[in-house]
Amino acid sequence: MKVGIPRALLYYKYNPFFETFYSELGCEIIESPETNKVILDYASKYCVDEACLPIKIFHGHVYYLKDKCDMILVPRIMRVNDKEYICPKFCGLPEMIENSIYDLPPITKTPIYANNKEKLLRWANREGGNITKNKIKIKRAFDNALREQEKYTCGVNDEGYKTKVVLAGHPYSVNDSFLNMNVIKKLNNLGIGVITEEFVSKDDINYEVDKLFKRPFWTFTKDTYGSTVYLADNRKVDGIVYVSSFGCGIDSVLIELIKNNVGDFPFLILKVDEHTGEVGFNTRIEAFSDMLLRRKLS
Amino acid sequence: MYYLGVDVGSVSTDIVLIDENFKIIDKVYLKTKGRPIKAIQDGFRELKKYKKEEILAAGTTGSGRQIAGYVIGADVVKNEITAHAVAALYIDKDVKTIIEIGGQDSKIITLKDGVVTDFAMNTVCAAGTGSFLDRQAERLEIPIDKFGEYALRSDSPVRIAGRCAVFAESDMIHKQQLGYCEEDIISGLCEALVRNYLNNLAKGKEIKQKVFFQGGVAANAGMKKAFENALGFEVYVPEYYSYMGAVGSAILAKEYYEKGNKTKFLGFNIADLSFNTKTIDCSGCSNRCEVVEMLRENKPIGFFGDRCGKWSEKVKAS
Repeated sequence: MKVGIPRALLYYKYNPFFETFYSELGCEIIESPETNKVILDYASKYCVDEACLPIKIFHGHVYYLKDKCDMILVPRIMRVNDKEYICPKFCGLPEMIENSIYDLPPITKTPIYANNKEKLLRWANREGGNITKNKIKIKRAFDNALREQEKYTCGVNDEGYKTKVVLAGHPYSVNDSFLNMNVIKKLNNLGIGVITEEFVSKDDINYEVDKLFKRPFWTFTKDTYGSTVYLADNRKVDGIVYVSSFGCGIDSVLIELIKNNVGDFPFLILKVDEHTGEVGFNTRIEAFSDMLLRRKLS
Repeated sequence: MYYLGVDVGSVSTDIVLIDENFKIIDKVYLKTKGRPIKAIQDGFRELKKYKKEEILAAGTTGSGRQIAGYVIGADVVKNEITAHAVAALYIDKDVKTIIEIGGQDSKIITLKDGVVTDFAMNTVCAAGTGSFLDRQAERLEIPIDKFGEYALRSDSPVRIAGRCAVFAESDMIHKQQLGYCEEDIISGLCEALVRNYLNNLAKGKEIKQKVFFQGGVAANAGMKKAFENALGFEVYVPEYYSYMGAVGSAILAKEYYEKGNKTKFLGFNIADLSFNTKTIDCSGCSNRCEVVEMLRENKPIGFFGDRCGKWSEKVKAS
């Protein structure tokens, strides 16, 4: 059986789990390539127009895979930590896909509650049950998948740069270099190193978040807020570069929340949508880098 | 001996020559009309009286800075935020805030002790920029340079939605259909754009005095007045408000020369050479980049638009 895994959204964080799980069950894994222009074209053609760019791009990857495999992983990730949620668009992702792309092979629809092992095992039993009836095999695949996931870290922490910024944003905005117009390489070329939220400890994130009058219930908000404010307040970085998809509801709150807490600390917001013209994007990055470097000199 | 600054913007292309004392010796203002190379060449034709040897260094800025850099052989290719800040600070060391509104971008730049400490640009929306005003002027059949006069004649501006260019336009049409006079509508439009600017770009930023208002839209006295009404203090429009980007890039070129570097400037005679661009659909990988190849007299002088650098590094190396 060929299982298609779209290289989009939380693929960048949780792919080791899914890939190991399905290969251990004896499936062949077909991954879509890194986002490219062909996928972006599918994305805008086969997705409702109000969705944000990352959701659109997910549609593009599914479309790319649909005739190449027997089933497609469409992870309906509900939560990864207790009392927190992932963005609401993830809750309805299988339905969005089904109603926008026709002639699909079967897709996975079981909700994923990854806040504890038992709940996640329920997902594995349900979805694994479509592939094999052997419960022991599923359990073994599940355990190995979790082990692989635990070994894995994503994100960036550049060494050897005098000037460093935190690259903030949802994991897929930070890790998909097509979506973010190669922002990491561009910053590196200007002599600026990058650190991402994965390199800030949970304790430091929680320390910052606990100072808020209410704990954010979106995981993305909590992680990005906590790590960014921690890095800025402790002057571990010289600036904040935030990659945000046009129309993102979570970001509209999150960006203001960060701004209110870091004062006049250098903060650049890069809005991304379906543009492929990079001039405006480059202008902002170059101006920000000039500002950081000239600020340091004075 | 002079320094050359070229600002290729979405609407206009501005060229200035400054001397050692930062005095503007000559200047040219042209409409870009989507043909940046032609605009530069037309401008250079007017400057042919200067010899190549008289130019010690050249700089480019604006959204067309890259292409301009290849065409003229620029020494410094800099973004427009830095260029505008450099120019404003040269004119007045005390400037704390720069409001710059150009063809497709609007910006706010905050300065402290002679350094840019913060800036913001409009996001994906072009409401409140020069090209929107241009379009409305055209629709009302009023020359854009008369827009300010009309606005100043009004004493009861009409309220117009300013958040989005499309909303603003339909609101304007509805107000016209109700019979409001042009003066009040234009003045209302200026107020709406200023409101949008202050809510959107300047949100959460303290606008400290002294404030400079520059870029093409600063020509509009109605906009200046609307800013002053909203802020409650005077806003200064520098003499060469529409050339500030070019002046800034000339100053940066001067800095480059003073560091002991030699210029790569190709001279004003490039006005007579043929320049072409060709789009190559690169099939090297699945990114399928649309690479632009620049040709001078049918010889490639530059490539851009490739994500991996395979093409653009070709020319730099040679």
